[in-house]
Amino acid sequence: MAQLGKGKLNYRCPSCFMRDLDIDMFYNKDTKIYSCIRCQYRGTEEDVLAKNEMVRFRYGAMAQRFTKFDFD
Amino acid sequence: MDKFVVNIIHRPEMVPEYSATVTGQGKEEDIGDKALLTESLDIFKTQQRLAHENGLKVTIQMTYAALFNDEAVEIAKHDHEVYGDEIALSLLGLPCEEFREKYKTKDFCIWMFSMEDKKAIVNDVFEKFHDRFGFYPESTGSYYMDADLTNYIKETYPTVKCAVATCWEEGPKAYHTCNNSWYTLFDGGPWAPWIPSKQNTHAPAANETEDCGIVAIPHLSRDLLACYDGNGSNFGTHPQNVLRGMIYDTKTWEFPYLYNLIDQYRDLEKYNNGYAYNMMFVGPGWMNKMGRWEQPYELLYKSYSEGCKYYGDLKKEGKLVDMTMSEFADYYRQKKGVNDGNYNEPECALWRDILYGSDKQLFWYCDPYMRACVNMDQGGAIVDLRPYAAKLEWPVGIGTPHVQDASYPFLIQEKYRAGYFTHYAGAGTVRSAKLTYKGQEVDLCLCPTHAHFSEEVIDGKKTRILTLDPVEIEFSDVTLKLQTKEYFEEGSSNIKIERTVLEMSDPAAEILLDEYMTACYGTTEYPEDMSGITLACEGKDAKTINYEYKCRDAASEGATAVSATIPAIWTKVSLTPSAEALGYIEEGYAFSPMFKLGYKKKISDKEVFATWLNLEKAN
Repeated sequence: MAQLGKGKLNYRCPSCFMRDLDIDMFYNKDTKIYSCIRCQYRGTEEDVLAKNEMVRFRYGAMAQRFTKFDFD
Repeated sequence: MDKFVVNIIHRPEMVPEYSATVTGQGKEEDIGDKALLTESLDIFKTQQRLAHENGLKVTIQMTYAALFNDEAVEIAKHDHEVYGDEIALSLLGLPCEEFREKYKTKDFCIWMFSMEDKKAIVNDVFEKFHDRFGFYPESTGSYYMDADLTNYIKETYPTVKCAVATCWEEGPKAYHTCNNSWYTLFDGGPWAPWIPSKQNTHAPAANETEDCGIVAIPHLSRDLLACYDGNGSNFGTHPQNVLRGMIYDTKTWEFPYLYNLIDQYRDLEKYNNGYAYNMMFVGPGWMNKMGRWEQPYELLYKSYSEGCKYYGDLKKEGKLVDMTMSEFADYYRQKKGVNDGNYNEPECALWRDILYGSDKQLFWYCDPYMRACVNMDQGGAIVDLRPYAAKLEWPVGIGTPHVQDASYPFLIQEKYRAGYFTHYAGAGTVRSAKLTYKGQEVDLCLCPTHAHFSEEVIDGKKTRILTLDPVEIEFSDVTLKLQTKEYFEEGSSNIKIERTVLEMSDPAAEILLDEYMTACYGTTEYPEDMSGITLACEGKDAKTINYEYKCRDAASEGATAVSATIPAIWTKVSLTPSAEALGYIEEGYAFSPMFKLGYKKKISDKEVFATWLNLEKAN
């Protein structure tokens, strides 16, 4: 296996993102697997994108537009 | 007239942060890479175009590297002539072949250099700027500007009147988010413009003698709840930071959060005499043609384009005034009353969650004597406290005791030092109150509520008041309704917290109220040496404890004050009561390196009891 490199976009590890860590992943062009060198996450691009949707669970009001900012 | 001011800042950075290290992965470093230079300038031109298309004035912060680039200089001159942009000078963007050759270092953060190097670099870049433009700049900045650096610049180049001087709550949290490799450690400063003191950049000047001569602006306008809790770099008026936080819909590429953030800042004019402020400053590395993390260039472009359009539309609707940094400095001094000698007008922000879907609410207060955060979700507890009254001199950079750590120390920081909840043993930092009745105990930290802001003149003093919605407290056979009001008297260096028993199911019941503050000091999550701290019950029955981690305590009926003097940060903090009560002090121990100050008093129906938290300089 040759050394790991970068994929077409610079995906971060979704598992580390969930613990407030921005860690770039590296890509194996033979297996098409992205891997994190900090934790044990491995996944295809499809899996990375699915997990990135999941990490948004914390943003409960992400799609909401606010017009009132107090509780008066 | 209400005014919402925006500063839009661009910098032509010839070797953008991230571009060389991220998109250049797998290549040998080449700081003079011509393709990188061309792309960087293209990004700058794009940013300028997007601002101008939306009718917005820009402050162009020339970097050292850009001063060697004829095209960048010509663009700046042209846009100054045509659009009224200000040509300023950034101390960011130092890296380039010329800098490396001259200073023989890869350091690039101005506040981390030795004082000798800071002076040499400042002289170098300011003179180079003068060579290219024929005048000295009125505005400058970096991610952080330490007091010694600012004082030197003002003394040597008195034309400077505005500077980007800190990035709000960019400290240990940002460091961790970057895998402990991003050394921007400067928590504890103001979130909105201020006039730094000559002693410490974070601590606003209290008078003309302390005035360092510039108006400071924060690097970005940040979410006062999300940034306090999490990675600051995801939640600011930086469209690509919002994308970094993945706060957008991947199908539609919509990101309403950015507009909620801008609008909540607009709303802060209610608490600041009709004035509110925003700053947008996106370095070119964030609009890289190769994309940035998960976001392709098209999305990066869209976010910046729409960010400019949002500000531009507000301007067209008469809801925003765009200014250059130097214009803003003049406006700010006038608006805040500084030109009339008043340095004490505070900055206030009653802030709600606009991202996570909770109804949590914080109140931030900043003046020359303190920065405080009140958490309504914890019954009005103070969860962050920075004692600016000490005007702590804290030199930073190589050759000082703090090479990287520029944070203003806290007395209370609930995220770094536990707050109300701790594991297994010990206590965390917080200023709250407990009520006890027949062996049952309720801490107000567990009584979520909301607050309302008002401003009154009390005994001739302007006072900002936070009135919390009453909370209900249930004991086994008594219930009561308690209201908290918190008073911030302008220029007083104290916070008054008043509790009123509005109703009690058994008017004869006697409840014990314990007003307390658990505190320590530090700038990070890790404990500092508490030796040397002196705790005292002051008054006729005076008692003291010199801190030795021995878990001792003392109490004094009728104590006039209970206090802690912390030599390491030149600070004395005390509580004082409105009526006779039992004052107490508690030393911590190794597993709980805290101290506690408090007053206990029996209260009954309709009774009002207040305590003051006072901050003083002690060195």
